[in-house]
Amino acid sequence: MTGSDFSGSVPLGRRLVVETLREEASVWLFVAKTLLAIFVTGWIAMRLALPSPSTAMITTIIVANRQSGMVLAKSFYRALGTVAGAGAAIGIVAAFPQQRDLFLVALSLWLGVCAGGATLYRNFKAYAFVLAGYTAAVIVVPVIENPPGVFDSAVARLSEVLLGILVSGAISDVVFPSRVRDVLRRSARGQFSDFLGFVRGSMEGAIPRDAMENAHLRFVRAAVTLEDLRSSVIFEDAETRARSNHLRLFNQRFMAASTSFQSLHHLINRLKRARRDRAADALVHLYAPLGEALEVPLEAGEGARVLLPRLLVARERMREDAVEVRAGFADEQDLRDFETGASLLLRFAGELYDYVDAASTLQAPRIVGGPVERVRFDRGNDYLGAGIATARTTLTMLVLGAFWIESAWPLGSSAMLIATIFAGLFAVTPNPTRVTRDVTYGYLIGMVLGFLCHFFVLTQLDGYGLMVAGVLPFLVVGVMLQASQRWGGIGLGWALGLLYILAFKNHQVYDPAHFINDAIAQIVGLMSAVVSFIVIPSAIGSPWLRRRQLAALRGQVALAAEAPLPGLRHRFESVNHDLFSQVVAQTEPGSADSRALIAWALAVHETGRALIELRHDMARGELPPTLRPYLEGVLATLARFYVKPDPASYLLARDAVATAIAGVCEHEGHRHLLEHLRLVRMALLDGESVLAAYMPDTPPAKEIAHAS
Amino acid sequence: MPREIALGDALVPGLLVLFVLALLALWLLDWLAGRFGLYRLVWHPTLFRLAAFVCVFGAFALFLN
Repeated sequence: MTGSDFSGSVPLGRRLVVETLREEASVWLFVAKTLLAIFVTGWIAMRLALPSPSTAMITTIIVANRQSGMVLAKSFYRALGTVAGAGAAIGIVAAFPQQRDLFLVALSLWLGVCAGGATLYRNFKAYAFVLAGYTAAVIVVPVIENPPGVFDSAVARLSEVLLGILVSGAISDVVFPSRVRDVLRRSARGQFSDFLGFVRGSMEGAIPRDAMENAHLRFVRAAVTLEDLRSSVIFEDAETRARSNHLRLFNQRFMAASTSFQSLHHLINRLKRARRDRAADALVHLYAPLGEALEVPLEAGEGARVLLPRLLVARERMREDAVEVRAGFADEQDLRDFETGASLLLRFAGELYDYVDAASTLQAPRIVGGPVERVRFDRGNDYLGAGIATARTTLTMLVLGAFWIESAWPLGSSAMLIATIFAGLFAVTPNPTRVTRDVTYGYLIGMVLGFLCHFFVLTQLDGYGLMVAGVLPFLVVGVMLQASQRWGGIGLGWALGLLYILAFKNHQVYDPAHFINDAIAQIVGLMSAVVSFIVIPSAIGSPWLRRRQLAALRGQVALAAEAPLPGLRHRFESVNHDLFSQVVAQTEPGSADSRALIAWALAVHETGRALIELRHDMARGELPPTLRPYLEGVLATLARFYVKPDPASYLLARDAVATAIAGVCEHEGHRHLLEHLRLVRMALLDGESVLAAYMPDTPPAKEIAHAS
Repeated sequence: MPREIALGDALVPGLLVLFVLALLALWLLDWLAGRFGLYRLVWHPTLFRLAAFVCVFGAFALFLN
C-alpha cells in the first residue's frame, strides 16, 4: 500500500538511484566487514604465535555472510563440527598409528559417513557434519609421518578455527549488523497477512484449481522458509530464542489450517463440478461470517489480538447457521454433502482461531505464560541419497590416498586435503558440479594473483600493516564477488585460493619451487573433487531421486494411517511440507513433473489429514466391534493404494471406503465418523485429481452421487 | 591454575578450555536475558553481549596467573 504511494510521489529515476545505492552500500559494507575480520584475525593469530594464522583467516572467509545471524549460526555449527572432527582425528590416529593403509581406510570411511550425514540435514546442521569430516583429515594428514604430533595439530586447528569464528562473529554482530531477525519478522507477518488475505479473498467460494495449487505452493514455501530462518535467528537474538517454541507452534498451526482450507475448497469445487450447486452454495454461504470476521485492517497496530473475539463470534454464528441451513434441506444427498463440508469448515474455523491465537502471542511484547506445547518440525530424509554421498566421498578419498601412497608424491597430502574439503563443502548443494567448477575457476584466479602478490609485492614489504596494504588489492574483488548471487562461487574460490596459497605464517617463506608444487597439488585436489561429482553424480535433482521423493510423499498417507497417534498431526504436516519443498526446489516450475508433484501433494495432504482425524475419532469414542474391521480396512487399503498406486488397489480402496460408509450408516451415534469417510471418498472420486489415472471409466458426476 | 590443563595425559592450553567455558557462561547469560527481555534495556545489545563476553573471559583468564 505504502509502496504505491511512494512510487507516485518520487520520480522513478531517483528511486532507482536510491535503491541501487542502498544495494551497493550493503555490498561494500559486507566487503569491509569481511576484510576487517580477515586481517584482525590474522593479526591476533600472529600475536598469539599460532602455527598457521592463514587457517584462522580462511575461517573468516568461509563463514562470511551478509547477515549476522547467518554468520553466527554457521560459526556455531562450524565450532561443533571442528570439535567433533578433532576428537575423531585423535581417535583414528590412536587406533592405527603404525599402519598407514588401514589408517587411510578409516579416515576415508569417517569422511564418507560425515558426508552422508550432511545430506540428511539441510541448513547449517549439514555444515557441522561436513566440518567434522574434513577437520579430521586436516588434522591428521599433515602428521601422518609423526603420529604423536596429532594432539598438537588438533589443538592448533581448534584454536585457529575458534579464533576466526570469534572475530568474524563479533565483527559481523557489532559493526553495522544486518539482522536476520528483521527478515524473520517480515516473513512471519507476510505469511500471516498473506494467508488471512487469501482466506478473506476466497469468500465467493470456488477457487480455480490452478490458483489453489499456486497458493498451496506459496504456503508450503512460506512454512519452510520460516522454519529455516528461525533456526538461524536463534543465534543472533536472545529474545527470539526464548520465543523459538512459540514460533514453531505458529508455523505448525499455519500448516494445519492451510491444509484444512485446501480440503474445504476442493470439496466445494467437486460439488460444483458434480452440479450439486445447492450444497456448494450453502457451504459458501456458511463460510461468509469467517470472511467478515477477517475484514479488519491489520496494520492498525493492534495486530492479531483484535481478530480473536471476532473469530469466536463468527464460529458461533456458523454453528447456528449450520443448524438452520440443515433444516432447509429436503434432499438426503444434499444434506450429506453439506454436513461433510460443514464439519470441515468448523474444523478450519477452529484451526484458524488457534493460528491467530499463536500469532497474537508472538506479537505480544512480553513472553507470557509458562512453557508452550513443544512441537518439532520434522524433516523428510532420504537415506539412500545419504548412502550415495557416503560412497562417493569414501571412494574419492581411497583413490586419492592410494595414488598418494603409490606415487610417493611429496605434496599428495595437500591435494588430498583440498579434495576432502571441497568434496565435503559442496556435496550438499543442489548442483555441486557447477558450484565446484565455479570455485575451481575462482581458485585458479586466486592462485595466479597469489603468485604475483607473494613474489612481487610481499617481498618488498615489511610489517603487518604494509602486508595488509599489499594483499588488499588482490583480495578485494574476490570478496566483492562473493556477495553476488551469480559470481558467489568464483568469489569464494578466489578469496580461498589467494589466502590458502599465501599461507601466512609468522616466518613467511619465499620458495617459488614449493609454491608452484603446492599450487599444482591443490589444483589436482580440486579437479578430483570435480571429477568425483561428475563420476558419481549427486542424487539431488535427478529424476530417480524425484521418483523416490514422490514415493516418500505418497508414503505419508501410510504414515497417517499407521503411525502412532500422539504428535502425528505435527509430524505429518511438517514432513509433508519438507518433502514437498525439497522436490519443488528441484523441479522446473510449471513443468509436467512439477504439476504432477503438486497434484499428488494435494491428494496426499487431504487424504492424510482426513485419515488422521478419522483415527483420532476412532480412538476417542467407543466403537462397536462390528464396525472396527471396516474402518481398519479403509486405513489399510488406502495406505496400500498410496504406497503403490495401481487400478486394482484403487478399486479395493474405493470399495473399502464405500463399505465402511454403509457400515457406519447402520449404526446409530457414529455419524461423526461419516464426515471423514465421505471426505476421503470424494477425494478418491475426484475426476480432476491425480487419482483419475487409476479410475475405471465411469463418469465422475454419477460416481459422486452414487458415493454418498 | 596452571597455564596448561591436563586432560587425561594430554596438556591443553588453559586459555582454550576457558574460552569454551566462557562461551557456555555467555550462552547462559544470553538465555536469561532473552527470557526476561533484558536486552530491551540496553542501547546496543550485541555490543553489550560482546562486552559481557570479554568480561567473563577476562575474569576466567585471571585464574591463570
